Amino acid sequence: MTVSTQTVSTIQFPYKRTLGPVMGRFFSELTARRIVGIRSGERVIVPPMEYDPETGNELARDFVEVGPAGTVRSWTWVAEPIESHPLERPFAFVLIRLDGADTDMVHVLDAGAEDAVYTGMRVAPRWRDEPVGRIDDIVCFVPGERAEAPEGEPGEAREVTTMEYFSTITYTDVLSPTLVRYASNLRAGKLTGQRCPRCNRVFLGRGYCSVDAIRLGPELDEDLPDRGVVSNYTIVTPTPYPGQKETEPFARASVVLEGDEMVIAQQQILDLPVSEIRVGMRVRAEWMPEAERDAAEITSKGWGTVAGFIKGWRPTGEPDEPAEQYMNRVF
Amino acid sequence: MTTRQKAGETRETAVRQDSDIAIVATAQLPAVRRQELTETEMLLMVVDEALGKVDLERSDIGFSCQGSCDYISGGTFSFVPNLDAMGAWPPIHESHVEMDGAWAMYEAWVRLRHGDIDIAVAMGSGKSSTGDPAAIYPLELDPYYLAPLGLDPVSLAALQARQLIESGKSTERELAEIAARSRRDAAGNPNQQVRAAEQDVDKLLAEGYLRNPLRKSDLPPISDGACAVVLVRGPRAAELTERPAWITGIDHRSEVHNPALRDLTDSASTRLAAARAGGVAGVEVAELMAPFTAQEVILRQSLGLADGVLINPSGGALTGNPLMATGLVRIADAAEAILADGRSRTLGHATSGPALQQNLVCVLEGDNR
Ligand SMILES: [Zn+2]
Repeated sequence: MTVSTQTVSTIQFPYKRTLGPVMGRFFSELTARRIVGIRSGERVIVPPMEYDPETGNELARDFVEVGPAGTVRSWTWVAEPIESHPLERPFAFVLIRLDGADTDMVHVLDAGAEDAVYTGMRVAPRWRDEPVGRIDDIVCFVPGERAEAPEGEPGEAREVTTMEYFSTITYTDVLSPTLVRYASNLRAGKLTGQRCPRCNRVFLGRGYCSVDAIRLGPELDEDLPDRGVVSNYTIVTPTPYPGQKETEPFARASVVLEGDEMVIAQQQILDLPVSEIRVGMRVRAEWMPEAERDAAEITSKGWGTVAGFIKGWRPTGEPDEPAEQYMNRVF
Repeated sequence: MTTRQKAGETRETAVRQDSDIAIVATAQLPAVRRQELTETEMLLMVVDEALGKVDLERSDIGFSCQGSCDYISGGTFSFVPNLDAMGAWPPIHESHVEMDGAWAMYEAWVRLRHGDIDIAVAMGSGKSSTGDPAAIYPLELDPYYLAPLGLDPVSLAALQARQLIESGKSTERELAEIAARSRRDAAGNPNQQVRAAEQDVDKLLAEGYLRNPLRKSDLPPISDGACAVVLVRGPRAAELTERPAWITGIDHRSEVHNPALRDLTDSASTRLAAARAGGVAGVEVAELMAPFTAQEVILRQSLGLADGVLINPSGGALTGNPLMATGLVRIADAAEAILADGRSRTLGHATSGPALQQNLVCVLEGDNR
């Protein structure tokens, strides 16, 4: 039986950052369609920093309004924007020296065509209709001296103290030959590991011995029983965070496979109140129905997991193993 | 101690002491577009190979340090399984840097300088193939002013290259010549990924821009790979290999994080690091981590390298760029120029951060007998 050798995962982080007194001032001023820099000796640094980039000394909060127009100091043309770029049509990334500034600022330029862009050209901001206090309140710069803004005078600057930023990255992971074999066996309902010839331990889903640091090839493959003993557990009281699905206290247990020392961590114990879980308890794997088995959680980034193949572990009802036998297991 | 030779002191007068530290063995996996092995499996291979060259066991190692990046691998604490490459027994002393393996080597060097252990291993590993560098890299930039603009690394390098050209410090032709030379050198180096690409300068100049003024030939490939080096203190180094690559100076410096506040056509931090590492006088080979052609020009000019210095005879980062190992590979190649090729004084350089923000320089010397 074969499994896909690729797993695709998207990681998303909603960031909320405090801005502090210097960047906070810059972003606050943007809400009134003003751009400010900060004095550092003879220079005006835009956008402002909290400290002198040469000496590391904290700067006095002496803000100076600059721009809004400026001069292009360097540029490159992006003919095919990607999702993380700020404009969907072809545009230029530019370094701009705003009038009154002594440093450059990175931003984007909407110039229509590549041959319209040149170093030394004059540009001015195109303001967002309703500024919120982010760098993209300036949607982009446009050729010319005059800022583009909605009708009417801007209001007073609003105090902006935090900034939200949502990041998302998609990873495509290709499984190593060891993991492909491991996942194929799981799909067939078999737990397969490799036995280390030096320490005699069996390792699931990694292809090497974590103790001795030696590679373990397919010739050392060994099927393991899908029965084991709970060696450790923790009861988790859920706190709400993005992606958290549990609402009631739940347990995560470590299972040592029978006749071996391999520990499978982060397992669910099925059909048992969390208060009755104990170290030494004998359990048996509850496999997912064959059609639902899914290798999406097998990745090359960590150690072997059984997620997507084994739903959890059910107590067998047999007498417990002595708990002391498992006291030196961390997982 | 000879860690920093004074300017003008000749190699012949240098005397290696117990406190001196040398690279005695290196290993790297060929940079490839997509590596099926996990990072741990890659590291197992390079550590095995490097230790095997000098007949050492893992139990001989007093300290190990690895460089890797969770953002690139797409997993939290990805260095924890990577640590399995050193094994858990006997109990080990280890560390990790979220940087190129060159910085892991710096930490290993510092650890050896304490004087109580003799042997350390430094590693670097990365798999860029799993994610899109254009989407990942902006997240490592200033999160307030730059990341929301999605400034991708190639666009940033293009802004830097244009300033270099328009300031008169380089030309598009020179950049194409660097690409062509790197590709010619890579053709003979099985560790490099780009080995059969166009090498004719006029043909390269006829290709369209990817990000004006950069063409595809001005860019590095997306690579997976790993590297390891073995560092040994004085007395043991000479026992393990005939011609150790002595680290006579190593230093790293960084500049302001916002690239728009710097002079992008200069690399003051590289110049300072090189001066602190003993200077470039007498250097025969310089392995510079310049993922973009224009950055090689900036580094060369900032270091003031003489015309006769061989630059990136390996083919360099332009033809193989296993992120988080690329810098350590440069140092490993500079060390091999001494260990294997009999050179006397070489330089390895690594960079990190946007547009050459942080730079590490390692000067190596072989004993003339
Ligand atoms: Zn073992």
